Amino acid sequence: MAGHAVEHDYHLIPPSPWPFLSGVACMVWGLGMVVFFAGLQPRNGDSPMKEFFFSKGLDTLQGKEGASGGWILLVLGSLFAAYVMFGWWRDVARESEVGDHTPVVDIGLRYGMIMFIMQEAMFFVGWFWMFFELGLFHKMRAKWNTDVLENAPAYADSMAPGISSINWAGLPLMNTLILLLSGCTVTWAHHALIHNDRKGAKWGLGLTVLLGVWFVIMQAIEYLEAFHGRTHGEPWLSTDAYGSAFFLATGFHGLHVAIGAIFLFVCWARLMRGGFKPEKHFGLEAAAWYWHFVDVVWLFLFAFVYIVFGFNAL
Amino acid sequence: MRFKRPNLMSVMTGLTAALLAGSAAMAAEPTPGGWWLQEPATPVMVKLTEVHNLVFWIICAIVIFVMVLMGYIMIRFREKANPVPSKTSHNTLIEVIWTIVPVLILLVIVVPSMQLLYYQDQVPETELTVKAVGNTWNWEYAYPDYENIESYISNPLDEDASEAAGKPFLLGTDAPLVVPVNTKVKVLVTSLNNMHAWTVPSFGIKMDAVPGLVNETWFEVFEEGTYYGPCSEICGVNHYYMPIEVQVVSKAEFERWVANDGAFPGQTAQLGGTTTAAQK
Amino acid sequence: MVAIPETGGYGADHDDGKPGFFARWFYSTNHKDIGTLYLIFGIISGLIGGYLSFMMRLELMEPGFQYFANGHDFNVFASMHGLIMIFFMVMPAVIGGFGNWFVPIMIGAPDMAFPRMNNLSFWLLPVALICLLISFFVPGTAAGDGFGGGWVMYPPLSTSGSPGPAFDFIIIGLLAAGFSSIFGAINFITTILNMRAPGMTLHKMPLFAWSVLVTAFLLLLALPVLAASLFMLFTDRIDGGTGFFDPAMGGDPQMFQHLFWFFGHPEVYIMILPAFGIISHIVSTFSRKPIFGYLGMAYAMVAIGVVGFVVWAHHMYTVGMDVNLKAYFLAATLIIAVPTGVKIFSWLATMWGGSIRYTIPMQWALAFIFLFVIGGVTGVMLANAGVDAYLHDTYYVVAHFHYVLSMGAVFGIFAGFYYWFGKMSGIQYNKWLAAAHFWLFFIGVNVIFFPQHFLGYNGMQRRVADYPEAFELWNKVSSYGAIITLIGTGFFFLMLLEAFTIGRKTRRVGDNYWGDGATTLEWTLSSPPPFHQFNTLPRIEDTDEH
Ligand code: HEA
Ligand code: HEA
Ligand code: CUA
Ligand SMILES: [Cu+2]
Repeated sequence: MAGHAVEHDYHLIPPSPWPFLSGVACMVWGLGMVVFFAGLQPRNGDSPMKEFFFSKGLDTLQGKEGASGGWILLVLGSLFAAYVMFGWWRDVARESEVGDHTPVVDIGLRYGMIMFIMQEAMFFVGWFWMFFELGLFHKMRAKWNTDVLENAPAYADSMAPGISSINWAGLPLMNTLILLLSGCTVTWAHHALIHNDRKGAKWGLGLTVLLGVWFVIMQAIEYLEAFHGRTHGEPWLSTDAYGSAFFLATGFHGLHVAIGAIFLFVCWARLMRGGFKPEKHFGLEAAAWYWHFVDVVWLFLFAFVYIVFGFNAL
Repeated sequence: MRFKRPNLMSVMTGLTAALLAGSAAMAAEPTPGGWWLQEPATPVMVKLTEVHNLVFWIICAIVIFVMVLMGYIMIRFREKANPVPSKTSHNTLIEVIWTIVPVLILLVIVVPSMQLLYYQDQVPETELTVKAVGNTWNWEYAYPDYENIESYISNPLDEDASEAAGKPFLLGTDAPLVVPVNTKVKVLVTSLNNMHAWTVPSFGIKMDAVPGLVNETWFEVFEEGTYYGPCSEICGVNHYYMPIEVQVVSKAEFERWVANDGAFPGQTAQLGGTTTAAQK
Repeated sequence: MVAIPETGGYGADHDDGKPGFFARWFYSTNHKDIGTLYLIFGIISGLIGGYLSFMMRLELMEPGFQYFANGHDFNVFASMHGLIMIFFMVMPAVIGGFGNWFVPIMIGAPDMAFPRMNNLSFWLLPVALICLLISFFVPGTAAGDGFGGGWVMYPPLSTSGSPGPAFDFIIIGLLAAGFSSIFGAINFITTILNMRAPGMTLHKMPLFAWSVLVTAFLLLLALPVLAASLFMLFTDRIDGGTGFFDPAMGGDPQMFQHLFWFFGHPEVYIMILPAFGIISHIVSTFSRKPIFGYLGMAYAMVAIGVVGFVVWAHHMYTVGMDVNLKAYFLAATLIIAVPTGVKIFSWLATMWGGSIRYTIPMQWALAFIFLFVIGGVTGVMLANAGVDAYLHDTYYVVAHFHYVLSMGAVFGIFAGFYYWFGKMSGIQYNKWLAAAHFWLFFIGVNVIFFPQHFLGYNGMQRRVADYPEAFELWNKVSSYGAIITLIGTGFFFLMLLEAFTIGRKTRRVGDNYWGDGATTLEWTLSSPPPFHQFNTLPRIEDTDEH
């Protein structure tokens, strides 16, 4: 059996450094996360050492002094990860160009992308579950729990003053429109490519990336306003549980928008360099799927987090 | 099937009792070398033991059945005894049977099990309310019904002290929860910091103490005596050393104790505190 | 130790393009090499996890403190033992190891769908393990280094209760391990759905591939929820961070338990389903009979997977849930006994009428069936919410899950290991060493864990470093069992040592060394298989047996 010429259409890949290097990047980055947020000391302990590993990263954000090795590790890890991603992606693009992605491999890529999106969906199920539980049931919990009702004002205002200060009809509505529009432009790009209108495809894709970036910027502005309106010099993220769910759910969504925008940007770069053919452009399709997924998640966020619970809080 | 159940259960309970004859000493605490449920002290635990025994015998029967069947197959169809294997790989009837029969067995289990669950969970009209607040690492008891009794901390006894007090080490405390016998007592369980679980095995009670949440459960003890249990939710360094001791006294004695503002003769607990010094 | 000799076994081609050492083992894109890496990794983690459990058993041999400074250190050992055994021993061994090795071969594929991502899945694991090991040595609480909140990591003990960075490292490590598994799951699903050989419909696919397919879906749907909850823990732990689980901020500590067990219960089936698959092959091979009720077997696993997603709160009967919810979870949990019973009885029926040979893998498989039934039925006991009020968080639970894990999953791993050892290495194991390993291990684990039922009945709670004297007897017995098990595990390593030194020269094996009972595709290849198999895809005929 062995030694025969390869008679199948699967894609066997020669050894590649990227996975191993990803592991290394992950190690640096993970170390950076811990050092940045925790420092290698108990947070409540009082260590005289304010050095590389032992600084408390968060202090910086709170305006207290404290040098932070975490920054350096995080930046290093991220740069390294970016380098790995670049190399890996470049290899894939090249393989696609030399025709390694036969029809059967192409189907495999599709399966892979669908599974990846399913996985992402479950990730957001986690956030929404938390969000609804806190939003819907905490009053019920408070009723069971007379003690807390009596003495914890936290419960009383846990209908998130922060949320009400964000009017859904303002920035969030605009963001919704931005995302919906970007969903259109990415579809435009796709169709243009299928009809071999490369110029249209470039425009569509470029616009989509710009819209994605715009969304992220708007979201950042919204956050800044929310913080400003709510915390008045309070610790950075410190908020009630409801606000926690709000910030992390929308925050992780924002992160996904950023990832999707990078993905689309890579496709745009490939397109500019002459990549993708009308009949074969799965990279772009995958990016578009991902983009639509992010879009749908946003619609849920918008409907429930901003509108439904936003009204509640008014 | 359903109306036969009590019958079956009593047979099973009888069997269990026979099996355990000889080790019938009152076990309000773990028995040395013991290998069975602690002696029930409340109606809930009586029912719990019954359901347990029913399930226990059923699962024993299942294990024995599988064991015997497997033993038979292993001998009967070993290579020497059966050199030529058959080729059967389907038999719809038998497949249906081994799907249906377990379902039936489970039905037998689920009915009494549900009854127990609801019995245990529905707090009846109670005559006394006590509050158990978990703290790292001791319990604080309060009697909301009696204004004169200040809440007190029940600290575990160390090895020497428990020997002196004649209580089992790691179960004895300096200030037990005191309740009257034959009285329905409601227990409110909560915690100040980490999670704990207020447990008295012979009452059939295990209730998590969760910060920010008050859980409810109840018991009614048949006999006077001292009943012990451990904290049953991991809560940090002294999780193993956070016992629960319940002293069940006659109603008259309980009244005396209340009249006495709930004082323990010669006890070492600080009274009236709401928290202990934070034991990190 | 490099498990695979550099020279191929019989029939292996010599210019099949094996890369040099570093590229081969670090930059690998070959499913068999990656599988080997996973297996080695699993063995190393098994040693670490076994060491931790052995220290616990030594400590618990007698009342009082012998080896640990305080309860915290013991808790650290227990927590890390649980995490390492589950995430770094069982999962890498059955899914990463055997799954990588044999799923592509069994379905007639030349490799996995995404060979590079496959290697990424592997390399995230050492990163994760290193994070966990670091956490031993950085502050956890004021009581000592490391994280001691149990493998279930409930807040507030894991947030305000463990202020040091030890637990942050665990979060990062588990996230890395989680993403590793998610990528692995995507890879397996794609491989199985897209790369089956011509003629191999899903209904002809070997049961091990089925089991990995179901497992991969469980991973794909369960792990992201764990990742989300780990992120919540992480931000909750930051000073001035979020308050998901902090009641003082309106949060709810119990929600973590829901999120965790929504992952955690499928997780236990993730660990056992591949073992089910392995056992099916072994039972069929050594009975020289096709699997009885193949379709029932496959769909029983699907049923276990599906129902496994809706029973999670049976771990939370005592948290103060609404009674109707408890009733629902009670009923749902009991249902799982039915498909599991189908599996048990189908194995027995496969043996019925067979011509059974008691080789080492078959011994492990038979022991698996028997001991898994014991562990399974004690699970049925625990499922009764009323009774669980007594048994929850006692050693009865510890006994239950070690019967299904340390005797279910681990016996499945060893069964598979002995079954395929010759296939993977080209060398047959030494029978006597293997038999010593089996018998000592079999006796040892039973002596460890059977008495723990008694301890649980008698009221001994879990995760304690010291206990009242009443529990001494059975704890002592249990600890003696650990010593026997340790010696047994020693024979496993002797067996490996012997095989790669003496056996390597004397006990080379051919393609199908188990004879005509072994019918899946791996037995058509040389032992070890060529670096790239199936350059011409095999064709599955209509009449082929599963
Ligand atoms: C491989 C891992 C594995 C497996 C397969 C199982 C299988 C099962 N488990 Fe287990 N379980 C764990 C690992 C596992 N468990 C772990 C790790 C914990 C503790 C976690 C922690 O707290 O740290 C735990 C805890 C646990 C609890 C919580 C206990 C507590 O904390 O209070 C419960 C309660 O319902 C439970 C139930 C079950 C049931 C009903 C099954 C069923 O799937 C079993 C089905 C099998 C059979 C029933 C036997 C074969 C069937 C027949 C022969 C047919 C006839 C049988 C009947 C009709 C009954 N398990
Ligand atoms: C797969 C999971 C697994 C396995 C195999 C084991 C194996 C063992 N465990 Fe396990 N244990 C857990 C999972 C496991 N455990 C979990 C989840 C907990 C709960 C933690 C918590 O409370 O949070 C726990 C808790 C726990 C406790 C309770 C601690 C407490 O509550 O205080 C005890 C005490 O005796 C114990 C003992 C043992 C012993 C003696 C073994 C022995 O069987 C060990 C013998 C050694 C081995 C079985 C390793 C052999 C394997 C290999 C060498 C790898 C082979 C690999 C290939 C061939 C590829 N364990
Ligand atoms: Cu308190 Cu455990
Ligand atoms: Cu479970």
